[in-house]
Amino acid sequence: MRFLLTRIGFYLSAFWVAITLNFFIPRWMPGDPATHLFVSLRGKMSEEALAAIKVAYGFDGTLWDQYVAYLGKIFTGDFGISTTNFPAPVAETLFYAMGWTLFLVGISISVCFALGMLMGIKAAWGQGKFFDSFFTPFNVMLYAFSQPVIALLLFYGLCYQLEWFPLGRAHPPMVIPGFTWEFISAVAYHAVVPLLTMIIVGIGSWHLGMRNNMINLINQDFITLAQAKGLSERRVVYRYAARNAILPQITSLAMTFGYVLGGAYIVEVMFNYPGLGKFSLAAIQARDYAFIQSQLLLVTACVLVANLISDFANVLLDPRLRYAEAA
Amino acid sequence: MNQIDTAKLETALNLKNKQKFARLPAPLRMFLLDSKGAIGLLMLLAILLMSLSAPLLSDYDPQRRAGGSHEPPSAEHILGTTRMGKDVFTQLVYGGRTSLLVGFTASLLSVAIAIVIGVSAGYFGGVVDELLTFLTNVMLVIPGLPLIIVMASFFDGGASPFVIGVVFAITGWAWSARVLRTQTLTLKNKEFITAAELIGERKWRIVLIQIFPNMLSLTVGGFVLGTIYAILAEAGLEFIGIGDPSAVTWGTMLYWAQSNQAISFGAWWELVPPAVAIMWTGAALTLINFSVDQITNPQLASQKNQSKIRRFLKGASA
Repeated sequence: MRFLLTRIGFYLSAFWVAITLNFFIPRWMPGDPATHLFVSLRGKMSEEALAAIKVAYGFDGTLWDQYVAYLGKIFTGDFGISTTNFPAPVAETLFYAMGWTLFLVGISISVCFALGMLMGIKAAWGQGKFFDSFFTPFNVMLYAFSQPVIALLLFYGLCYQLEWFPLGRAHPPMVIPGFTWEFISAVAYHAVVPLLTMIIVGIGSWHLGMRNNMINLINQDFITLAQAKGLSERRVVYRYAARNAILPQITSLAMTFGYVLGGAYIVEVMFNYPGLGKFSLAAIQARDYAFIQSQLLLVTACVLVANLISDFANVLLDPRLRYAEAA
Repeated sequence: MNQIDTAKLETALNLKNKQKFARLPAPLRMFLLDSKGAIGLLMLLAILLMSLSAPLLSDYDPQRRAGGSHEPPSAEHILGTTRMGKDVFTQLVYGGRTSLLVGFTASLLSVAIAIVIGVSAGYFGGVVDELLTFLTNVMLVIPGLPLIIVMASFFDGGASPFVIGVVFAITGWAWSARVLRTQTLTLKNKEFITAAELIGERKWRIVLIQIFPNMLSLTVGGFVLGTIYAILAEAGLEFIGIGDPSAVTWGTMLYWAQSNQAISFGAWWELVPPAVAIMWTGAALTLINFSVDQITNPQLASQKNQSKIRRFLKGASA
């Protein structure tokens, strides 16, 4: 328990750092949101209105007062009112968008993780053979081809030229969301190309990571012993080598989660997908600070929870950690 | 990650049976003799050279109208013109300057921060280590890209390429710092460091002259990875419209091609060149990274995997 408790303590303090950063960033940057609005209206706004807006944004009083008020709002779940989706509260839009993003990210990460792991195992076990010398650089290069490029190519190839897939959106506007075959099939159909983009770009790092972990393990004595015992190759590869090589991968799974949540921005913008990226971009263009800040907090919270889950998973999967816990 | 083992590197090199560049230090030889690294380096040099000699290659101004809208490639405009009538080839070579410069400087800055933080944490230990390690771990778990987007969004008229670069450096140093700290910890207890301490060398001299050179290839590895990340992420941010759209970079070229619907007009030449440039650079840096990886971890370089048993049996029968 001690290990997990220290981890939880760490994540709580990391969250505190994140919310504090989130508080200070707009205050460090030139011009607060209210003044921004004031300037952009070119004097059509009275001084009283400016003061009122400052209060609404929490930019009044001393820095300390602002900070305390800000913390209070976060813990009561009050994210303020979004100006772009007025009068919907930020939280409502945020959770709607988060659902779509998590759908994309969840599926693409799982597929990338599984496929990358299998390919990495195969590459490591046959190090220097054809599969390894071709697919390892190939998959990693796909990552370096970058998401916007792959998204554009797939969009123009599959959606625009061949017209196999729709040009965007999560589902046609006339299909009403619900637990119906019509809705589910429409969503699946619309998600194919966005998912394909994320999977093509994402697989390389898992492949390479797994391969390198495996190669470091293959020369160790317990693998030699397993082979000497005459165990089948399958058993040696999966039960002995891969099981150990996967542990660091689980930790990076949680870490990439944040990166992929960010990466979904590109796909969502390209395919007009109603996820977090699309909404935050609209919010940025409209300078909707309440929304921008809340989405950063939400993403941070998700990533921290993902990290915590990976810690739990590591304890479950790694007997060494488990025994250290018990002792 | 282990300390670089020169002996292992030498063995791996001898396996390859090559005597070329025999005077160079082992890591450098390894890099030059590995075909992946050499090809990657050539590819990178080619694109660097092209970007650096931009004014020689083109007489047009990347920001100004040079012809009609969406002119197809011709002798006058090698890669055609954009919808705004700007010369695509000129934008490509000038854009490369900014994209590559931002990528390299952002990565250099973040490696510099990583060295300072990682090495001081490892070498000084105690409270310094605890504080710096905490900072590193926090930076590792706070998602970088959304943070960058939020920070970039506070700049008027979009973040300039250099603002994006600086923000990358500030958010992207944590992983290298962690690796360098571990490396410093293993080096700290080596005899030659103790010897230097006993002679009475000053601490900053030990760090700079004794510890740092031993981590050069790790640093280079971090630098290459950082550059890939910075170039790709900059292009990504500009593509979705966070960057300053008036700057000429590969990312903004993609952005304009997309928002002007170049493909609907059949103007593939507005879209393909920046896409190929990004892919080319990405491929080059990836190949370089493969070679650098083999230097920091020679096991990755060893030829076909042979189980110890088979090797033992072979040895016994010989």
